Amino acid sequence: MNVQYASLLIAIPLITAFFVPLMKGLGEKAIKTYVLIITAIQAGIATWVFEEVYTTGKPIIVMAGGWRPPVGIDLYIGPFAALFVLIVALVSFLMAVFNFRAVKVEPIDKYAMLFLLLMLGATGMIATGDIFNLFVFMEITAITAYALTAYNKTGEAAEASLKYMVLGGIGSSFFLIGVALIYGATGTLNMAQIAQLAGNINPTVAQVALALVIFGLAVEAELFPLNAWAPDAYQAAPHPVTAMFSAFVVKAGIYALARILYLMSAVGTWKNILHLLIAMATLTVIVAEFSALRQRNVKRMIAYSSVSQVGLIGLAFALGTQAGVDAGVFQMINHAIIKVLLFLGVGYVAVQLGGAEIENFRGLGKRMPLTALGVTVGSMSAVGIPLFNIFWSKLRIILATVDAGYAWAAALVLGASVVEAVYYFRLVHAIWFTGEGERLRESAPLVAIMLLLIAIIVAIGIYPNYAWSLSQKAGNDIFNVAQYIKNVPLMGVGA
Amino acid sequence: MISAYYFGAISLVLIGLYAVLVKKNVLKMLIGLSIMETGVNLLLVSIGYIYGRSAPILSEGIGPNQAVDPIPQALVLTAIVIGVATTAMALSVAIILYQKYGTLNVEEIRRLRG
Amino acid sequence: MVSILKRSLAVIMLLIIGYWLAQGLSGIPFGQDKMLVGKYYLDNVIRQTGAINAVTAVVVNYRGFDTLGEVTVLFIASTGVGALLWAKRRERTAKTEGSIVLKTGIRLLTPFVILFGAYIFIHGHLTPGGGFPGGATIATAFLLLYMAYTMYEIPRRAFENTEGVAGMSYVIVALIGLAIGGYFLFDWIWQTWHFGVNNVGRILSGGFIPVIYTIIGIKVGTELSGIIDNMLREEVRE
Repeated sequence: MNVQYASLLIAIPLITAFFVPLMKGLGEKAIKTYVLIITAIQAGIATWVFEEVYTTGKPIIVMAGGWRPPVGIDLYIGPFAALFVLIVALVSFLMAVFNFRAVKVEPIDKYAMLFLLLMLGATGMIATGDIFNLFVFMEITAITAYALTAYNKTGEAAEASLKYMVLGGIGSSFFLIGVALIYGATGTLNMAQIAQLAGNINPTVAQVALALVIFGLAVEAELFPLNAWAPDAYQAAPHPVTAMFSAFVVKAGIYALARILYLMSAVGTWKNILHLLIAMATLTVIVAEFSALRQRNVKRMIAYSSVSQVGLIGLAFALGTQAGVDAGVFQMINHAIIKVLLFLGVGYVAVQLGGAEIENFRGLGKRMPLTALGVTVGSMSAVGIPLFNIFWSKLRIILATVDAGYAWAAALVLGASVVEAVYYFRLVHAIWFTGEGERLRESAPLVAIMLLLIAIIVAIGIYPNYAWSLSQKAGNDIFNVAQYIKNVPLMGVGA
Repeated sequence: MISAYYFGAISLVLIGLYAVLVKKNVLKMLIGLSIMETGVNLLLVSIGYIYGRSAPILSEGIGPNQAVDPIPQALVLTAIVIGVATTAMALSVAIILYQKYGTLNVEEIRRLRG
Repeated sequence: MVSILKRSLAVIMLLIIGYWLAQGLSGIPFGQDKMLVGKYYLDNVIRQTGAINAVTAVVVNYRGFDTLGEVTVLFIASTGVGALLWAKRRERTAKTEGSIVLKTGIRLLTPFVILFGAYIFIHGHLTPGGGFPGGATIATAFLLLYMAYTMYEIPRRAFENTEGVAGMSYVIVALIGLAIGGYFLFDWIWQTWHFGVNNVGRILSGGFIPVIYTIIGIKVGTELSGIIDNMLREEVRE
């Protein structure tokens, strides 16, 4: 099969989202089923792409319009992109199942379009090989996220969305100035060619441009000090959307950050940028953990925990070593899995019991035992207890940090983990050892999803080698810039 | 010394940023964001400018060597549309805020929420 | 007092950012020829795309993915505005009808404004303009109608359907390219059919640029009108 068909990853969500207005009268059920089918098809294509990339070992380069890069825009679906496009599609599929229970606010047809386009935006951000195209997909993701954050139309949701929008607007302006500087200095927008020419850029220009791009992406990647929007938005958004934010929207942001960071590694002033990022990431972890400790609302608490774990990923990427990048990718995979489980469980509880306050979780072990099990496993794993998946990635990140000579950062992060343990155990304690209640009937599909995710978490926890080898391949894709340049069939314009 | 065009573009960005940081009215903040975007667009276009050359429409005696760089102009076209989209979204969020709280002052909104 | 402190802090921060940006920009000479890929476009644009307007060729053809994304962004905006301002029943609440001058003028001008919008997007490959300005011009016609008449409303359902169909047509044109030429967004009209090769500089040339710009023009026109409509109607509570 022609590998150019991988462009269907972009085409399918787009064309199906455009189709939704035509089926407006069909009712809520039909539209939700439609979304479910589309995400299933997307997952199918993503699986094919994943197979293709991992069996041949060569990345798929989709050339839009048949123009070879740098003249045209290319999608670079290497080991990393193939893996994460698959995760994006699978998570969307699971959340499309959750939609049936969790989303009741009208107008469902608009929700369906935004849902599909959020998936599209993240897919594009991960796959693109052009820095301005990255900006376009980032804006697709961001604007859909603004709309979905405010979707419940409450005062809090609107305020969260506004906060997100103001920060996102500043971030995207900064990012665009950075792109303008890079374009002015190199005359190209293709990532591979930028990497090729990076060594020749005036170091001051490169440093300013890179810092601007990082500040721009830090909004999406939820790095301190530009992550003030995240807990509010996570709390206010519909539950499936929150899970998607945490599982892949923020991942797409942090991947883009890492990709551009490593592309410019030939720049003379690169180390300064790494120091800046390490400081930002460490602060993210610490501030988020201490804020999580104070929360009464479990959804918000897990949102803070998500921010801190993403900070950990940022730290891993900022080390500038192969081991760090691999560990970061590993943590990305694990974190996506557990946050889907946690937000699914918490969202389900909020739907059934009318809110995500900690009071509602008292006696959950007796009222909704399977959901309670899901939340418990997710919490245990998030803390980093052995036998669960996050243990391995946290361990690798901390080892890589110490290896790279940042023992202070490792110590701070470990300290923050203790804080994390406190609030997660408080939650687990509330679930199992307090409160009483009647047993409620739990929805079979959602329970099935939770059990599946628990199985994956434990499987990776006991036997991490497969996931680790995937992460190593994907990490190498980000770290090994020379290979990246070689993989893109550049036309040799001007160079 | 940097060129006047760059200077103008940076000034617009900074003026917009000032409005976003300091103003309390949501609409004024959004206007600030728009001004920032305009500044960025101006910067992009001025990076593509080349002394003594004309717009990249290759007719009536304008050859490839007499035209300025077309890419920044194409990028600006995209950036403008994205700016419009963001502004439209932001305004509808502002409408919801006004419906819920009866004010567009961010401090008032924060106070009403408690 | 606090506000003065906050303001001066903001000004100091902005000055630092400005100085820093200026430092970065001083490394990029103004007005010099720095083109790399741009040069390639200028040299090959007519032969490869059939458009004499290099900017549109870059927008629609070379960097078509951006434009597809751009169209999507606008679609998201109109969807998002529709989703956020949704209510069971909404009506226009404007109280004063436009003056006689406005009303007569608009009745006369509306068809011409729409025609001018169509002119702009059909000539996208020849003159400055294209689908986005053209569509915006068309939406202006509807905005003027809203301003003049308190009762006027666009046929909402038809507009939403047109928007969806136009978006789908864009993707379908791109997918035909994938089927014929083997690449998504491949310009099959110009590169496979060689349609209009002898017509460069006239309207029937430019490959799929006029086709796509017509689709975009219609889409943007209906989309922006939809946004205007959504913002001008208010919720009615019984």
